[in-house]
Amino acid sequence: MIRRTSFPNIGRRSVLKGLGAAAVLAPFVPLLESEASQDVPKRLILLNGANGTVYNNWLPTGSETDFTLSPILAPLESHRDRLLVLGGMRVGSEGPGQGHGLGYATQWNGSVLQNDPLFTGMGGASGWSNGTSIDQTLAQSFGDKTAFPSLEFGVQHVSNRGMISAGPAQPIQPEDNPYAMFDRLFGDIGLSPEQLAQVRAERQSVIDVVKGDIASLDTKLGAEERYKTQAHLQGIREIEQRLTLDTTLPDSCTAPDLGDPLSIFEIVQQNDMVPVISRLQIDLMVMALACDLTRFTSLQWSRALSPWRFTWLGIPDDHHELSHSADSDAPAQAKLTQINAWYAGEVAYLLDALDAIPEGGGTMLDSSLVGWSNALAAGNIHSSYPVPYVLAGSAAGYFQTGRFIDYGDVSQNRLLVSVCNAMGLPDVVTYGDMDRGSGPLAGLV
Amino acid sequence: MSNPTFVTYAALALSLAASGGCNADDSASADAAESGSGGSDSGAESGDLPPPVECLEGGPTVGAWYLRRLTGAQLDNTVRDLLGTTSRPSDLLPQDEIVGAFYSNVSAPVTNAMVETYMDLSETLALEAVQDLSGLLPCDPDAVGEDVCAGEFVDTFGLRAYRRPLSADERDALGGAYEAGRQLGGFETGIRLVVTAALQSPYFLYHAEFGAGTAQGTVVPLGEYELASRLSYFLWNTMPDAELLTAAGDGSFADAPGALRAQAERMLDDPRASNAIRSFHLQWLGISELDGVEKDPEFFPDYTPALGAAMQRETGTFADYVIRFSDGKLSTLLTAPLSFPEGKVFNIYGIAKPAGYDGTTPIALDPAQRAGILTHPSVLTMHAQSDQTSPIRRGVLVRENILCQPLPEPPPDVNNVPPAPDANSTTRERFEQHRADPKCAACHELIDPLGFGFESYDGTGAFRQTDNGMPVDASGALTSSGDVDGDFDGATELAFRLADSDVVRGCVSKQWFRYAFGRNESLSDACSVATLDSAFAASDYNIRELLLTLVTTDAFRYRPSQEPGQ
Repeated sequence: MIRRTSFPNIGRRSVLKGLGAAAVLAPFVPLLESEASQDVPKRLILLNGANGTVYNNWLPTGSETDFTLSPILAPLESHRDRLLVLGGMRVGSEGPGQGHGLGYATQWNGSVLQNDPLFTGMGGASGWSNGTSIDQTLAQSFGDKTAFPSLEFGVQHVSNRGMISAGPAQPIQPEDNPYAMFDRLFGDIGLSPEQLAQVRAERQSVIDVVKGDIASLDTKLGAEERYKTQAHLQGIREIEQRLTLDTTLPDSCTAPDLGDPLSIFEIVQQNDMVPVISRLQIDLMVMALACDLTRFTSLQWSRALSPWRFTWLGIPDDHHELSHSADSDAPAQAKLTQINAWYAGEVAYLLDALDAIPEGGGTMLDSSLVGWSNALAAGNIHSSYPVPYVLAGSAAGYFQTGRFIDYGDVSQNRLLVSVCNAMGLPDVVTYGDMDRGSGPLAGLV
Repeated sequence: MSNPTFVTYAALALSLAASGGCNADDSASADAAESGSGGSDSGAESGDLPPPVECLEGGPTVGAWYLRRLTGAQLDNTVRDLLGTTSRPSDLLPQDEIVGAFYSNVSAPVTNAMVETYMDLSETLALEAVQDLSGLLPCDPDAVGEDVCAGEFVDTFGLRAYRRPLSADERDALGGAYEAGRQLGGFETGIRLVVTAALQSPYFLYHAEFGAGTAQGTVVPLGEYELASRLSYFLWNTMPDAELLTAAGDGSFADAPGALRAQAERMLDDPRASNAIRSFHLQWLGISELDGVEKDPEFFPDYTPALGAAMQRETGTFADYVIRFSDGKLSTLLTAPLSFPEGKVFNIYGIAKPAGYDGTTPIALDPAQRAGILTHPSVLTMHAQSDQTSPIRRGVLVRENILCQPLPEPPPDVNNVPPAPDANSTTRERFEQHRADPKCAACHELIDPLGFGFESYDGTGAFRQTDNGMPVDASGALTSSGDVDGDFDGATELAFRLADSDVVRGCVSKQWFRYAFGRNESLSDACSVATLDSAFAASDYNIRELLLTLVTTDAFRYRPSQEPGQ
């Protein structure tokens, strides 16, 4: 059921205002002032797309280093020397599921969906993803270095069929509510040391009871069901570990001054609030990274078959329906171009925010890797080639950025391998169970 | 009881899969159509086979058991009844999983973020609950002593929160939380931590059912508290009330089928049953999310999500009226020319709201235009596009949810471009390409002729006789239904045809099964399904009787036995 009413007390501590990224982050002292970029942790930020793109208006023109950005990518002009625009990417389409559902799930994991007649995980007779998205692979290797192994953000995603998967049939839903996310990340900031100690002691007492109940339930379950109690226990343990951290945040982090919370309706349902929520979530995501609360994040705008109506662009049409326009329908293709350019503008806002944080002799954008994809190539024929992929940031100099490379026809799994290698897993040579090749994507380093 | 209709559909599905006309890669529906052997509980349609002969002679059998997490709606209702709060936890939790048409958290494990959300919710709800400490406690701490009262609270609140008496270990553990809280902040803090812990316990958040008593062959009977919980979540979508918990504790369920049916009768007569009936119908008809849908204002300037919410309420009220106050029949649900509109839904029907109408009595509708739920504005609005109707979505709804005949997904790289609203043609004319293209035709033959029958209703469910100025042609055809094939003219005639169909009756029976158990029926449930079908038929397809019978089936009373930790 669509959520309508406000849950009281969410955002009770602090609330985000839609300020520009630079203003929001101004109070932050650079977290890591080391001159050597090797000391700076690498961050990965995954971004989705839905309903495909207009490829001819997405693909840049020109040569590898001397290229002109397309109408869709034009908003990224100021960051062109940090970009890698990748043409000719083919996403696998084997196995159960089709179209929007399959493409959306595979954006960053290169794996099939499970065949599950019991359960309509990604729609139809297909189950959940059988794979692990690259952010989760990294979180499982390096996530213990931060308070949260990873953080998943959403903008009116309102779904549990997303692109983030911690393993076979282990979907991770994004948090659509920036106020709830803020409470998760910064909720204890305003507490005095005595109050914090009390809260933590109370939580530990409660956790002791809950762990005992999980353990007793676990022993009663059959082997095939125990993964549920094990996962629940893992969630409790993550909370418990954070109770022992010396401080919730590094001393250099301060939360910005904030305003009144929005209602649940405005946050997760009201179409025209999308631009506001998008900026709030981007701001919050960048703050979480700047405070080193996590190093692996993702942001999902809407979901597969996104129904958004881009009224703020003067486009009243349902995006999914619009994406099913004929290629020859010039007005529809113009609208789709405008929509995709708006997304590029949001990506640009994110890059601006990352670039505003000095660290390691450069900025946080330099030490990060942003990956922006789409569920499909073209929405009208549900094609999985050529799917638009854009990288931004060099992962602390690993990638040679500022280039446009048209691969003709190359498997997306190669890109996934490259990202793993760039982010600290050099021994990865294949990625995802749809991988029919091996090795990284050529020409990126 | 053989089902020749299914053989026809199975053959069709297989041939579709083989020809690649629909997506040949999607073997799942072909598997479901094909599997008649093997005892695996793979969720194959139970209409595959007649019930095994052993059903009549052997012991009970039941399909696989899954640890199910409470749905968002169940959690909202449960905290309402447990604590008296109006806060809705589902506002902060991710969407529920979906099995077939119904919300059921049966498959994926919880995520770290969900566990944190449960923690945050429980802290907030507990804080709210202790604001009215005297209302929360079963005793007066000043009169009997704080620690004694806390112990009573742990027992009584624990019983209600865990939906069964606490074990000695659990009582000690919650008592430990009280003691820790008392030391940290006094009596109220101690009570608050008990509530906080109970709300995060997996025994609260999941439907934990392990059976009690002696195994009977491959199954074990559910315990009395487990039965009480099943009854309340099935018929009220919430935790057991005091009467159910008392009955569970005093041996009332010993004579299980009779006691269960008697409780179900009481519960169906209770207003709380309207919640579950409403919930079933919103999910079955695919209109749960209607209150979030927007329409293109150029085509439907008067439509708002609030109107969608009113349409949902109308459907829920109508279904509740038919089942609990009227004759209870499926045929009435599918064909009655009456409903319970409110507000601007009257405008959709083109009738004036009677002066002083309070929504408690049915409004008569024109039988030439309206027949039961399939012509409700809710159904017609949800299953439409933002700027036009959708024969596809309406046809799919009937095929998959009313006939229980799942369709494969569209094949890849096929031009899925619905025709643009064209001022010079009707919707039917624009969709004719489906017949022309052989890759499309095989599946769309099952969908479009059904959906065209709804063309008399626009994208917000209003009756119309012209479409872009041209006369509406609402002629359609039912094909591969098995027992009610044939042409029809308009959705009202279709509704009467479906109301007469054994395939539809079997589908409705199955859908209630799926709703009740949060899973698809399997071969091991064949006896329970047969029992349901027989009772449904014997009652002349009375849904109330179907529900009363459901709680007496093997599927309701048993779960497969297992070795713990096996």
